[in-house]
Amino acid sequence: MRPPSSFKQDFFKKWVVGLQYYYGTSSRDMNILERKKAIKLSADVAMASARDGKTYWSRSLIAKASKQDDCISKNLVKNILGNEYERLTKLPSSILCSKRIRSKKIVRRSCNMRRIRKHAQKRVLASSIAKRMVKKRTQVLKTLVPGGESMDDEFCLLEETIDYLLSLQAQVDVMHKLVNASGLPS
Amino acid sequence: MNATEITVLERQQSQLQWQQQKQHYFEDTHFNLTMNEASLMNNEYRSMKIDPDFDNGWPGLAKYPLHRTGFGGENLPGFVSTESADMNSSISRTFSCPPEKLTSSIGRESFKKRKASDKSVGAENINEKKIKGEVEEVASKINEQIHNNKNNNRETCGDISKENSKVSEVQKTEYIHVRARRGQATDSHSLAERVRREKISERMRYLQDLVPGCNKIIGKAGMLDEIINYVQSLQRQVEFLSMKLATVSPQVDSNIDNFFAKEMFQSTADSYPTIGMLSEVLNPTCYQQLNAVQQVLTCGGLNMDINLAEMPLERTTSTPVSMPGEFLDSSSFSQAQPPSAWENDLQSLYNTGFRHQGRSTAFSSEPFNGNLAASNLKMEI
Repeated sequence: MRPPSSFKQDFFKKWVVGLQYYYGTSSRDMNILERKKAIKLSADVAMASARDGKTYWSRSLIAKASKQDDCISKNLVKNILGNEYERLTKLPSSILCSKRIRSKKIVRRSCNMRRIRKHAQKRVLASSIAKRMVKKRTQVLKTLVPGGESMDDEFCLLEETIDYLLSLQAQVDVMHKLVNASGLPS
Repeated sequence: MNATEITVLERQQSQLQWQQQKQHYFEDTHFNLTMNEASLMNNEYRSMKIDPDFDNGWPGLAKYPLHRTGFGGENLPGFVSTESADMNSSISRTFSCPPEKLTSSIGRESFKKRKASDKSVGAENINEKKIKGEVEEVASKINEQIHNNKNNNRETCGDISKENSKVSEVQKTEYIHVRARRGQATDSHSLAERVRREKISERMRYLQDLVPGCNKIIGKAGMLDEIINYVQSLQRQVEFLSMKLATVSPQVDSNIDNFFAKEMFQSTADSYPTIGMLSEVLNPTCYQQLNAVQQVLTCGGLNMDINLAEMPLERTTSTPVSMPGEFLDSSSFSQAQPPSAWENDLQSLYNTGFRHQGRSTAFSSEPFNGNLAASNLKMEI
């Protein structure tokens, strides 16, 4: 990852492009929530595109944003990404196959086996509890990190989480600065 | 593995192995010889050439098992005792030298010896034993040595030519270095698993440094909890900040402005019932929209709306807002001293918002109850 300052600059440049577009097009009948949504979307896409599509989370975030229905957000994404639109909206292969094809028979059989095992094993070991807890939290983390559902490897997920966290920190910092600069009574 | 632990059976096995390898080697050397002499010869001629050499070499090998059988019984204890020290020094710990090369070099040596010292059985036999020991070692240790490169530098085999050690040095760079502690499994699967776990724990340590307040937490589950909380809080911050920016936008929706202005005036006029009304108004309109957009927003949305209304309320520190610390710090609305009734009602409003949010997020499953309680506590501090 590049030094955070340059990442922030990159992010801010892209975000400003998005915000300019947003201010140019935002119409009177826009709800406050719609406006908020547009701003957040622009910030997210700018953050993801500042990572230059090197990580799964950024790619899946952009892909998700570009698939939104309303034309405002679509145009927003296109505007921020500019000439890199085609390259970045393409999903990496690993995310494309996120819907895994499973044999129903095998799944059913394994479910049955699990049920049997549960019946047989009455006393619960502490290690198994700990394992289950970690598993559940990993699942939650997967839902939080964009594109995390398709990550099977825990190491991969942690890498992505680190990267996403750093980017989020930078994003929050830049947004804070902008809010302060805009002179809100806060 | 010590040399003293070598069983007779193993030795016999290795002997067989060695013989096979030797046979193999002979074929190889013949091939090499012919190749050296005339590399341009065609296949038939080569095969013709092989025959005389083969004749030379073969009797030695044919004799070899006879020696073994003759010497084997009486020599075994001697072998064990005398060779144990020798073997330790001459054990080739280099896994990466290719087996063919090893055997070929050994074979070549013994072949030369056999030629030179014609039929001096004793000396030859010792040499053979050495070789046999090495082969044995290589065969038995090959699995372990795949990953234990540490001994490569220290213990180099005296018998093996230098080219072999060079080869091993070149090849060992392609492997990951893993050190198995005493008592740990050394098969390739568990080693790979250990490498993976080490990598994961390294990442976790890095995350621990990254997430504030995660240093004192022991256990993977707790750390993951903290990480999840932090990511969520950051995401919520982004939501909140974008909401704030939406209010700053130059084309502020006049309808909403009027609406909230009216609200404000009403709330200043008569204190208590408007809060109820406000919440009632907020719930059907904004609340549902927020639910549609994202449920995590609820609390932030409520806060924002109240913010917009600019009610002369002091935001008390005890409000269980799900927003992170900055928001609480940034609240500076203490223009007027609010009545206590207001405060209570607002608190309850926040509470409901927060509870709703807590229920709607993914934390609803049972093992997260403790976590929720913890965050509740944290918020109320």
